[in-house]
Amino acid sequence: MENITKKEINYPYLTRPVEIYERENGHKIVLAHKEGGLVNVSSWVKTGSINETDENNGISHFLEHLMFKGTHKHKAGYFDRTLEAKGAIVNAATWKDYTFYYVTLPKGPENAYLKEAIELHADMMLDPVIPEEEIGPAFKLGDDKVSQKRERHVVIEEIRMRQDQPWTKIYNSTNFNMYTKHPYKRDVIGFPETIASIPRETIMDYYKTHYTPNNITTIVAGDFDTKEILELVCKAFDFKGRTNFENPEHELDTPVSEAKYIELKGKINTGFAITGWLGPVARDLKENIALEIVNVILGEGQSSRLYQNLIEKAKEPVFNVVTTDFYNFKDGGNFFVQANYKADKKDLALELIKREMTNFLNGDMTESEFVKAKKKLKVRFAESAETVSDIAENIGYYMTVCDDLDLVEQYSKALEEITIDEVNKIANKHLDLNHCVTTVLLPE
Amino acid sequence: MEKIILNNNIPLVLKENTNTPRHALCFYFKITEPEKKAGVYTLLNRLFLQGTKKRSAQVLAQELDENAIDCYSEMKQDFIRFKLQCLNEDFEKGLEILSDIIQNSTLEDFEKEVIKLKGEIQAELDEPKTLAMNAFYSTVFKNHPYGHTYTNILRDIDSITIEDVKNAYKSLLEKSPKVISLVGDFHSEDTAGLLNKYFENIQNCAETEISNSVEDIEKAQTVKVAKDDASQAQIIQGWRVPTIFDKDYAPIMVMNTMLGSSGLSSRLFLELRDKKGLAYVVRSTYEIYDNAALFNVYIATEPKNIKTSLEGFKVELDKVKQIPVTEAELENAKNNLLGKRQFFTETNLQQASLIAYYEDKGLGSDFERKFVDMVNSVTVEDIQRVANTYITDRYVLAVLAPQQFLKEL
Repeated sequence: MENITKKEINYPYLTRPVEIYERENGHKIVLAHKEGGLVNVSSWVKTGSINETDENNGISHFLEHLMFKGTHKHKAGYFDRTLEAKGAIVNAATWKDYTFYYVTLPKGPENAYLKEAIELHADMMLDPVIPEEEIGPAFKLGDDKVSQKRERHVVIEEIRMRQDQPWTKIYNSTNFNMYTKHPYKRDVIGFPETIASIPRETIMDYYKTHYTPNNITTIVAGDFDTKEILELVCKAFDFKGRTNFENPEHELDTPVSEAKYIELKGKINTGFAITGWLGPVARDLKENIALEIVNVILGEGQSSRLYQNLIEKAKEPVFNVVTTDFYNFKDGGNFFVQANYKADKKDLALELIKREMTNFLNGDMTESEFVKAKKKLKVRFAESAETVSDIAENIGYYMTVCDDLDLVEQYSKALEEITIDEVNKIANKHLDLNHCVTTVLLPE
Repeated sequence: MEKIILNNNIPLVLKENTNTPRHALCFYFKITEPEKKAGVYTLLNRLFLQGTKKRSAQVLAQELDENAIDCYSEMKQDFIRFKLQCLNEDFEKGLEILSDIIQNSTLEDFEKEVIKLKGEIQAELDEPKTLAMNAFYSTVFKNHPYGHTYTNILRDIDSITIEDVKNAYKSLLEKSPKVISLVGDFHSEDTAGLLNKYFENIQNCAETEISNSVEDIEKAQTVKVAKDDASQAQIIQGWRVPTIFDKDYAPIMVMNTMLGSSGLSSRLFLELRDKKGLAYVVRSTYEIYDNAALFNVYIATEPKNIKTSLEGFKVELDKVKQIPVTEAELENAKNNLLGKRQFFTETNLQQASLIAYYEDKGLGSDFERKFVDMVNSVTVEDIQRVANTYITDRYVLAVLAPQQFLKEL
């Protein structure tokens, strides 16, 4: 067998350590043991909108759709049909830092389904044909005479679907305005014009450049013999000497120099708003934990501050919904406050949010809020250890966005050790009200 | 799996899963007195976490969060169910809180809850898909509580009084048939003892015959919703079909899988998405309530494709009616349907939920085993027969699109 390095990581709430293998060519394989009849096979590729430009924005996601369109061995449809006929859930997703493909299915008698899933999944990852007739001919947007409507149109419908979602609309606007040059500013799905016209060669070149051994982590989670499955994955993932690619480093963006405000209109009845800030890079464990704590305290669930102060204890009804969110990204996460409010109360709504943020940043977090947030984050690991899909997804995130699983092992200790003072300091560092972007959507 | 009858006559179904960190409990209350005004049970359901005689809403939320106990109630068409999930060591604490919520909710914040609910509904209705679904269900289930959608709640909510909600609460506690299920790693615990302790004052009520029949769809009906800035049309077409209690349950499940719910390989997905590029989302669903069930097809597409999409639906539905499916396709659909069950019952909470669901319907907690046999015995003829019997010209079609595209419908 080939030269392969191995290390083990203790993953909370799993009965055995997770095994991480790295092959000579850089391809990583992670095996996680979870009792039960279900298994999950997935591959995470280190590419997403982070590797895109204005010209090819949306290509990572479009490629993700086209990866399902057959290989030299198997025609389009074979993969879905064969695995779904065994009870599989088959899908993929594209985000800023990654694209991943997964199969969740019953492992079958003597792991027969698992083995077949690994073979088919590897074949799809390594040998996509991306046939011209499945992409469909390039066309000019608005041309009603297009006869062969294929995958280009499917993706354009996905874009249309998102255009109709008020939250997505203002998220995109806020996200775009938070950055100056970093590729994160672009919406992962891209624009209809690009999807309608991008040629097959460009997509194929993009595939060949980014789907390289060092950029791929393959994860198998479930109950199986690790030696046997490791050998099988190595054999199935024959990269045939494919050249590796190192993702370029991007200069980190600095927050906007002054608070920015964008107003959009739509045929709606209520008002929507999202305020966003740039956050710490994903590998900065302490700062990420701090903002996760802030997120829980400020805007997660009915016991959160914003919900309690702005909805439960409101003197007059202003807000219908108010929450926060924190996303982790390789080159810096995002923190958002999201609100839906009575359309005629926009100014008051924004003012109230500002007041809450100011109070929090001035350090009025209580000990009990702090303890609650810590406990919630601790249990999240127990939750994410309950299904093979969640285990695999968590591992995929750490391996791809944080480059390693070491942070999983350090997480509990770092969470235990962080202090209120540290959280306050980190919150003040990132969530400055003079350097945020707000988009509102109001009735026309 | 083990079934015990608690001292209060409530059946408790237990399933032990070793090596799992969290217990999951489901407590079902069947709704036996249908609401007369839309939103009564919705409000009651929301008020369950708004404070008890012992705990204010804030204390309750705080206590749940501090112990990382996940406890909430859900209202469905035929029941309200409580779900409790917590680390094994916190189970008794969780039970105590749940028992307090179920028995001692004060419903004090009624007026505030009305305002909050109205606001949330208005926000929801700004989503085109929600708006379209709202129109569909209020038409299909006109004159029935199943049709108490968002807009109907907005219509009735100001006439709902605290007394209405209190009566619904009383009815739930005193008149509901109840079921509890518990799944987790509890080998050394006296689970029945704990449940007897915390739920001793909640009495079970024998099943009563509820006459709450749903009117049939008499003829084809189209309901249009204009939204001029919609990029996509939302199209839902649905037929009344038998429920889980009928012999045709399994054949319809298989037909639904094959047509539009197996994932990427279903007929609707292949024909309308992969080959025609009409949509990103296209699917069928089989929705089952106690007194009615629906078979629906759904697509979201560019507004100018409305006609093509409806024709596409018709072609695919006609195919199922006219051309016998191949044995291979039938086999694939069955395997998909049965294989995916594992996915949907992977966590303790999912298992607890399904076990209680079957028990609540009186199907027995081992219904899953029977279901496998029922599915395996579905034949090619069954599929064709159910398609011809139920997919008729008595349907409801709801379309949301910009006004100009609705005229020709």
